[in-house]
Amino acid sequence: MRVATDIGGTFTDLVFFDYDRETKEVKSVEVSKSSTTPGEFEKGILNTIKKIGLDLTTIDFFAHGTTVVINAITERKGAKTALITTEGFRDVLEIARGTRPDLYNFNFKKEEPFVERYLRQEVKERINYQGEIITPLYESSVDDHILEFIKEGVEAIAICFLHGYKNPVHEKKLAAYIRTKYPIFEVITSHEVTREWREYERTSSTVLSAYVKPIATTYLNNLTRHLQNLGYKNNLYIMQSNGGITTVEDVKANPITLIESGPASGMLGAVVLGRTIGKENLLVLDIGGTTAKCSLIENGIPKIVTTYTIEKTKTQAGFPILTPVIDIVEIGNGGGSIAWLDDGGKMRVGPKSAAANPGPSSYGKGGTSFTTTDANVVCNRIHKDYFLGGELQPDFDSLKSAVKPLCEALDMTLEEVARGVIRVANSNMVNALKSVSVNKGYDPRDFSLVVIGGGGPMHGAYLGEELQMPEIIVPLNAGVFSAFGMLMSDLRRDYIRTDVMNLNEKQFSIIKSVFQDMKNEAIQAYERDAYKQEDIRFEHYLDLRYDGQEHSVKLKLADLNQLKIDEIEHHFHQLHKQRYAFSLTDTKIEIVNYHLVAEVVVNKPVIGKVEVKGTTVEEALVATEKVDFDEAGIHESHFFDRNKLDPGMTVKGPAIIVEQSTSTVVPPGHQFRIDAYANIIIRKK
Amino acid sequence: MSLNKFTSDIIQDSLISIGEAMFETIQRTSMSPIIYEALDYAVGITDGDGRLLAQGNGVITFLAAMSLVVEDTLKRFGEDNPLKEGDVVMANTPYAGGGTHLSDIALITPIFYKGERVAFTVNKAHWTDIGGTNPGSVSTVSTEIFQEGMHFPFIKIKERGTLNDAVVKMIEANVRLPKSTLGDLFSGIAANDVGAERIIKLIDKYGLEAYKQAAEEFMEYGERISLKELQKIPNGVYENTGFIENDGFGNGPFPLKLKITISNTGMTCDFTGSHEQLKGPLNLSRTGLETAVRAAFKSITTPTLPANNGSFKHVKLICPDNTIVSAKSPAPISVYYEVFLAAVDLLLKTLGPVVPDKLPAGHFRSVCVTYISGIHPVTNEFYVQAEPLSGGWGGCASHDGNRGQFSYAHGESYNIPAETRERKYGVVVEEYAFHNEGGGYGEYQGGNGQYLIFKILSEEAFLTGAFLGYSIPTWGLNEGKEGSYNYFTVLRTDGTEEDYNVVTNVKLFKGDRVKLVTATGGGYGNPTNRKRKKIERDIKNGYITMEQAEEHYGFV
Repeated sequence: MRVATDIGGTFTDLVFFDYDRETKEVKSVEVSKSSTTPGEFEKGILNTIKKIGLDLTTIDFFAHGTTVVINAITERKGAKTALITTEGFRDVLEIARGTRPDLYNFNFKKEEPFVERYLRQEVKERINYQGEIITPLYESSVDDHILEFIKEGVEAIAICFLHGYKNPVHEKKLAAYIRTKYPIFEVITSHEVTREWREYERTSSTVLSAYVKPIATTYLNNLTRHLQNLGYKNNLYIMQSNGGITTVEDVKANPITLIESGPASGMLGAVVLGRTIGKENLLVLDIGGTTAKCSLIENGIPKIVTTYTIEKTKTQAGFPILTPVIDIVEIGNGGGSIAWLDDGGKMRVGPKSAAANPGPSSYGKGGTSFTTTDANVVCNRIHKDYFLGGELQPDFDSLKSAVKPLCEALDMTLEEVARGVIRVANSNMVNALKSVSVNKGYDPRDFSLVVIGGGGPMHGAYLGEELQMPEIIVPLNAGVFSAFGMLMSDLRRDYIRTDVMNLNEKQFSIIKSVFQDMKNEAIQAYERDAYKQEDIRFEHYLDLRYDGQEHSVKLKLADLNQLKIDEIEHHFHQLHKQRYAFSLTDTKIEIVNYHLVAEVVVNKPVIGKVEVKGTTVEEALVATEKVDFDEAGIHESHFFDRNKLDPGMTVKGPAIIVEQSTSTVVPPGHQFRIDAYANIIIRKK
Repeated sequence: MSLNKFTSDIIQDSLISIGEAMFETIQRTSMSPIIYEALDYAVGITDGDGRLLAQGNGVITFLAAMSLVVEDTLKRFGEDNPLKEGDVVMANTPYAGGGTHLSDIALITPIFYKGERVAFTVNKAHWTDIGGTNPGSVSTVSTEIFQEGMHFPFIKIKERGTLNDAVVKMIEANVRLPKSTLGDLFSGIAANDVGAERIIKLIDKYGLEAYKQAAEEFMEYGERISLKELQKIPNGVYENTGFIENDGFGNGPFPLKLKITISNTGMTCDFTGSHEQLKGPLNLSRTGLETAVRAAFKSITTPTLPANNGSFKHVKLICPDNTIVSAKSPAPISVYYEVFLAAVDLLLKTLGPVVPDKLPAGHFRSVCVTYISGIHPVTNEFYVQAEPLSGGWGGCASHDGNRGQFSYAHGESYNIPAETRERKYGVVVEEYAFHNEGGGYGEYQGGNGQYLIFKILSEEAFLTGAFLGYSIPTWGLNEGKEGSYNYFTVLRTDGTEEDYNVVTNVKLFKGDRVKLVTATGGGYGNPTNRKRKKIERDIKNGYITMEQAEEHYGFV
């Protein structure tokens, strides 16, 4: 049996299933959902386990995606952290890049750095850009600073030296010294987080990883202990932001890799699903309780970026993190997003969310805000008997009092406001989907839309129509797809190194030796977790750019032993043209970064076809009621139980398909089909 | 009210999102680092009459330029010579609508729907080189505009879809980096096309009537909100004087005069009495001044709402021609940004006491640009390192001044990391840190200015820079104290020091150090009201020294 849990902003999901050891096909899938428990996240997980009486002694694989890292950062509840850096550079963290997105607000307030100045200390040492030592480091020169840190109650120390990406010798020396002499601190150095250049970004990443290190370590230790107490005997695997899983020990060494743990697994699940059903170009939209996330997958490969910025908004520059993350655009637009009127009387939805507590007004848990979920309830797109998995009935009194101020201010009926909220929410999501596709040179008409999360299937058909996409795919288990994705992922570690040089044949031996160096590091790391060298699969990438430019393009190398300069150049010119609309065929090409992906394929299930039960459409019908489809009118619509729909069935809309964790809306003018894998495929008639 | 209201809201949001797509297109496809890294450009969408509907900015210096350049385009292509589908107009005239300096090129594309002109897409971007006397086309010592590059006075670069090859060839022959300059031209045209295509799709979806109604409602919305906010500001007449300290030739200071009148129906900014235009390139165009006025108005009314023409209906600029802030041909103008900042600073200094909760004390008031050129000591290649520097902002009613921020003229601009700088330009950065040269004391302390010190490793190199604010410190507000000064110093290997502010081509030798210094912002509120805890924290953090605390805060 395999289990995965995913903690979202609103719900904690658990998925478990067994699979056939021969065919690897998944047998029955079960899900459990419970409210997220901020502050004590492990509780939420244990609740989902208790709720369905899961016996952990029967489980041989447990994977986990967690928000503990991102929460510690957004709530500023990480450890008291100090920074040690090169003489002359203690203020790099506070100066940042000098950017101000809030152009016309001269009362603009720059965000406070994560380490206050008195805890940012310098030591005499210097390495130049070629990696040569100009000024040697004397470790003991740090002693006075450390004593001060002890006095101040510092828990974690980040070390980042200039050009540490190129030559980490001083970082290693100082870290070893502090770890030996002052073992009370959690210590992390910049080269352990990333070997990419740009001192602010690297310092920021190192500081944030140090900041979450104690809390992540405690959390993961607690969770491991709880699971062991419940009888779980094997490795606990943690989902990282790069779309791969890894061991608890690995994560504890550099916990910032968990920053987008949950969302990444949903995207990865979509990749696996796409490969299974032969759809390799996908736009994936994951609508949770608090946010909507989208990502573009081309040729079956998710895009991985190595610079990720958290808390970047229209008014703030945010904090960069150099760690591999599946390229995701996230907007504050989920089921719990609150509808409100701005100063000018314009309707807005989100980014503020009613979250898990008190939740949308229709939950009847004291929520006084009208949310997207409430609007869907009003339109009967969420059936009252299947609300929150059928656990409770929507509280219409609470809902009506929540919407009242909006009705009065807009002089509209409840139904009109509800339609308006859904329209505005859809418009926000269309803009987010365009930002990952149209704005980057991709035509949505060449992609299938995969909608996941509790809210995705409710909005998918409208969004697909707006973007003229040929089909919308609602995967089996769409409501808990992130957890599902974790069970489909392999172990993955990314190694990135900046080493700028011209690209030419003379450098091939250097290219090989840099990659070999990184491979040795990967092999060592995997061997620490008891994986064998021969099980590791490597992929090699170069970040290349034209001489004199800043932007680089990531290019995959086919075979390291058969590098051909003209092939690499040709491939780069092509990629550059696709990405930036031009190429400069007579300009020199530079290598900026080396990127090694080291994966270990785990024994995991495949998505299998489902058995035809021989049911009829009528047997799946649970109700026929009026549903409000806004501009498409109010129609008597069939409600179907997803579990009773058989592969091969094709049904015309309007229809709503209900299941425990979500509802799929099929508007008039559309039809849906159940494919061999029990996915719902919606198309226009 | 009907559900159409939501349609209008969605059309308006869609226009803003189209603006974002145009903005990204330029960032993605332009070939000049100053565009794709410093984001020194803007994009806009106007209606068929040139009224601004949506705008995307990387910096604030183009706020008024988008709609004004379209309005001027419409004047020049009137009924006898109307614009046609497929036309693209190119303009960089500093003295006409939308003008800044020659380096900023505007591209204007009319959009037709079933034969009717329904919109314009427009953008304006800083091209790295546009010809003229100096590489980069900017100089502190030019005396006529003819030294500052090529001039495109509202010409059709495309006519009915056909590119004007003659102009393309002329550009190719007259600029130092023809490939990237032409790349920027095509990038700008493409961005307008991206916007055009999506606007047409938007009209297809919602219909022309709904589109026009949304545009009207959006204007009305901008007008209503900004007027409502303006009416919260006390009526009155407020006067003040500012200074441009130097014309590039060591003459000055030259006064800027301002009289602001605020009533319940509008705000008027009158610059009559300002000094006549200068011999050197420290002049501002009328559009630049209009941007300064609109930016100030926006900051005290609706800083976070999207801008449209309605939002500026109630602000008016008065200024005679040929002054330092309304220069006319052939005044040189390439360093206009320093004068732009001086104008913004004067506006805010005048408005600050009127709306003390909305505006901070004075910030370091200069872009603090330096250019260093030389031969790279390792690669032997010629380099030009051009960069602005961040500095201290003033304290305000709610918080201490920011440290390490670029000037008001910037926005989404990024500094150059030491790690990339050292490789690219072969210098060694020795210090990049806040200084405590003092000043900015107040209930809310002004943000510290900073040092950037680097050592030259080339055999020889040349330094050009323009730092105003070297003789007049940043100002305090509400009894807050003034801050400090911008300047730069060359530290020679023999120990001698030379201070500079506005200068072209100082010769440097191997081992010389350049020390750039930006000012500490002004303080806000009486220093005696500063909380003791904050003073202690500042001492602990080294933002101020114990001696400064004792002397200026009476700290014991």
